[in-house]
Amino acid sequence: MVLFRRPLAGLRVRALRRLYQTHLLENTAEARGLRLLRSWLSPKQRAQLDSEGAFEVVGSDSGKRYRICYGTSTNIREIDRTGRLGHSWCFVPVGGLVAGDVMLAQKIALETTETAALAVANKVPLLFCSR
Amino acid sequence: MAMHVVMDHAGDRRHYFDKEDAESLAEAERRFHELVGRGFTAAARVGPGEVSKIHAFDPAIEETLFVPRLVGG
Repeated sequence: MVLFRRPLAGLRVRALRRLYQTHLLENTAEARGLRLLRSWLSPKQRAQLDSEGAFEVVGSDSGKRYRICYGTSTNIREIDRTGRLGHSWCFVPVGGLVAGDVMLAQKIALETTETAALAVANKVPLLFCSR
Repeated sequence: MAMHVVMDHAGDRRHYFDKEDAESLAEAERRFHELVGRGFTAAARVGPGEVSKIHAFDPAIEETLFVPRLVGG
């Protein structure tokens, strides 16, 4: 089973990267959201998003690292001290926003008011995390 | 021109205002308080990729981002 997980994870990352790059060029809500997100990321976060379809943030209160993946739900993974991905957190802004806006809202919340953001978030057990 | 960026389902709405014009500034301040009153979080850049929440209208900030209230997903 483990043998099949790595290639599938790689395919998923490549598919997300293609989707992200396609959206970036369009004049749609999705594209505007991604451009807004990119303009608020640090150079390092922007490079991570471009190459991996995800970027890391540091929690304002705990100093923990989180990985925010392209998407609008269950797309935040906590990173443990050894660098391994742990369980997921899920919180989103109200209003049915596009992925770029959701990811930017998550970045701002974790980097400025981590405890308050996680207080409203749902925690998804590791068993159900897919990325 | 300074700018308020409000996230919405269409990506975002942008409102530009002239910091030297009293009427434009008053409109921007009214919008700030209305959005914060509706539960939006106001944020501004404080460095490359660094963000800070702001709690009061500050005409010196060039770009303010308004993020809707967060809920568990």
